Amino acid sequence: MATAFELAPAIAALPLAAFVVVLLVGDSMPKKGAFAGIIATAGSLVLSLWALATVAGGEVYNQELYEWAAGEEIAFHFGILIDPLSALMLVIVSLVALLVHVFSLGYMNEEGETGLPRYYAELGLFTFSMLAFVYADNLLMAFMFFELVGLCSYLLIGFWFRTPSASSAAKKAFLVTRFGDYFFLIGVVGIAATFGTLSFAGESSFVVAAEEAISGGETLFGFGAETWVTILGLLVLGGVIGKSAQFPLHTWLPDAMEGPTTVSALIHAATMVAAGVYLVARMYGFYALSPTALAIIAFVGGFTALFAASMGVVKDDIKQVLAYSTISQYGYMMLGLGVGGYVAGVFHLMNHAFFKALLFLGAGAVIILMHHEQDMWKMGGLKDQAPVAYYTFLAGALALAGIVPFSGFWSKDEVLYDALILGLEEPIFLIAYAMGLIAVFFTGFYTFRMVFLTFHGEPRSEAARDPHPIGAAVKLPLIVLGVLAVVAGIVNLAPIAKLTGAEIVFLEHWLDGEYGAVEGLTYHEYHELMGHETSYIGSETLTMLLGAALSLGLAFAGAGLAWTLYNVPEPKEHTRRLGRAREVLGNNYYQDEYQVWLARDLTLPFSRTADRFDQSVIDGVVNGVSSVSLFGSGRMKRLQTGVVTNYAALLVLGFLALLVIFGINGGWFV
Amino acid sequence: MTVAVEYYVLLSAALFCIGLFGVLTRKNALMFLMSVEIMLNAANINLIAFSFYHGNLTGQVFALFTMALAAAEVAIGLGIILVLYRNFEGIDVTVPAAMRW
Repeated sequence: MATAFELAPAIAALPLAAFVVVLLVGDSMPKKGAFAGIIATAGSLVLSLWALATVAGGEVYNQELYEWAAGEEIAFHFGILIDPLSALMLVIVSLVALLVHVFSLGYMNEEGETGLPRYYAELGLFTFSMLAFVYADNLLMAFMFFELVGLCSYLLIGFWFRTPSASSAAKKAFLVTRFGDYFFLIGVVGIAATFGTLSFAGESSFVVAAEEAISGGETLFGFGAETWVTILGLLVLGGVIGKSAQFPLHTWLPDAMEGPTTVSALIHAATMVAAGVYLVARMYGFYALSPTALAIIAFVGGFTALFAASMGVVKDDIKQVLAYSTISQYGYMMLGLGVGGYVAGVFHLMNHAFFKALLFLGAGAVIILMHHEQDMWKMGGLKDQAPVAYYTFLAGALALAGIVPFSGFWSKDEVLYDALILGLEEPIFLIAYAMGLIAVFFTGFYTFRMVFLTFHGEPRSEAARDPHPIGAAVKLPLIVLGVLAVVAGIVNLAPIAKLTGAEIVFLEHWLDGEYGAVEGLTYHEYHELMGHETSYIGSETLTMLLGAALSLGLAFAGAGLAWTLYNVPEPKEHTRRLGRAREVLGNNYYQDEYQVWLARDLTLPFSRTADRFDQSVIDGVVNGVSSVSLFGSGRMKRLQTGVVTNYAALLVLGFLALLVIFGINGGWFV
Repeated sequence: MTVAVEYYVLLSAALFCIGLFGVLTRKNALMFLMSVEIMLNAANINLIAFSFYHGNLTGQVFALFTMALAAAEVAIGLGIILVLYRNFEGIDVTVPAAMRW
């Protein structure tokens, strides 16, 4: 009987097989290849669950499978690492991918889209790359699949490539994330060159090597070991910031809404964007060695959370609101990881995967209902006409806003709690905490603004009065995710555990290796590496209650404000009253403009100057050298007349000259 | 009575210079070829004279080889001259100057 781990390669290979099959014969398959994708991702889900159960049984898997290049000092290989973190992520990714495939039956097939085999093939490739990325056992393999994930999102965002905006959004996503990945690549090379290994786990991992270098006080490339680890960590972080859409490389994500909504669900919940944060969690031991890198992660996260949430407030397109909420939520995860809340960050990653997939699929359902209208001002009143979509969407919204007891509350609260207790010890982190806290208010506001505008009030357009019906393929994934969004928080009810003393922080125990873990990859080991001191207001329980009350109060305040403003039969565009501020927010703080300015008015002239320098000076030197030799040989060749007599004369003269030289050297004439 | 070796060397040097002069100054390909032959024979005389002087027959054997070589050379040379005549309607060696760079 094969074990779950022996079958582990199949987890990623199944979607790959679906990709190949659909690509080749998708056109003649039923539903244009949707079933192949569904079967493959269902298979992956079953295998992932099996792997999860096996990890829960105390076993882990860290196996090198195939060595594809070996040198004197370093060998590159493909391998699989299944520990609590990656097993959990495998389940999340394959589950969301499966639900997205099912939903696509309703969203894409029934709408009579063309190019469906291409769509399903790309979804399969996307799932394959993400799953392989998740259980990669070394950084280079992770990088390769990280890039593949980027490629797939490029393909899928540009699925409707005949619309100019879609193809330009796809290019933007590709280029912006590639900009970050460039630093990631340098980081990978740097880590390989420094430590001679790229493995995540085990005795010979780069994390262990870095730890030894720091405790041994070594000097690496002219830097102290810790400084160098920080530099490498920040280089890798470049890729994370690009993929996870953190400030300042977040600009691609709102544009990525040009892709089909199902793709947005997949990108935002489980694949592309999650890859960045997952990478930080994957090599958390490395970041734990560098307080500076962690602090930067925390601040980037906190700032992004607030920054993106503020922009979400003024958007009128339902998918745009969700896009900014994604950026903001990933900011929370980064904040959590940056302040040492490894469990909190991963917990939020998991919950977010469920409720954001739910919200995007819900938005997809709304878009079907609305006959492909995305402007929230043309919606309204969908509550009674599509109760399944409404209640599931509401569950997702409550989770996103962080209202107790929905899943998002537990994880977001834990992130903020971790930030708070660290901030009380090191006040600088209080700034990051404050940014995260203010973002809670905005989140509550824009989430419920979206809910009220979409589902409440009177219908504001013909389409909203007479919605297109939605089928079972749409409802089923919504219900599954809706249930998960409500109950997923149960895996780590830290506040209740602290109050009652009950042992119900399963996720913390899970990630701490109480069921089984690869050595060195557990929560308490990370904690020892970081050596963060924390302090409390009064007692631990009091701090926890204060923090929870504060964030819950802000969330309710935001939601309440949205309630009073927008939960009326005929809501008005209150954001108009923001005046100049609305303009700034509506234009996304002119981020695109300044980045275009950076590219066009700063980088382009600079590159042009560099090009001119290359053309004139560098090429000039080369051309000069060659023209000297060309001129010289032009003169020399006149010696060759073609007349035999001249050659004979030259021969004789040459012979005489030789004689004279030998004579002088031999001393004949003395 | 034997002639001293110096005279042979002188004779050979004189013949060589005549041949060299011919190669450098003559335009007629036939004269050119003859001059080359003269130079070859100058060398032959040297070989034989020194061979005789040292009482060693190797030089004479070499001279025989050189003669055979000269015969072959004349055959090829005359062939070239024939082609020259056909292509240029004459055997002036300074006329065909196209075989360069």
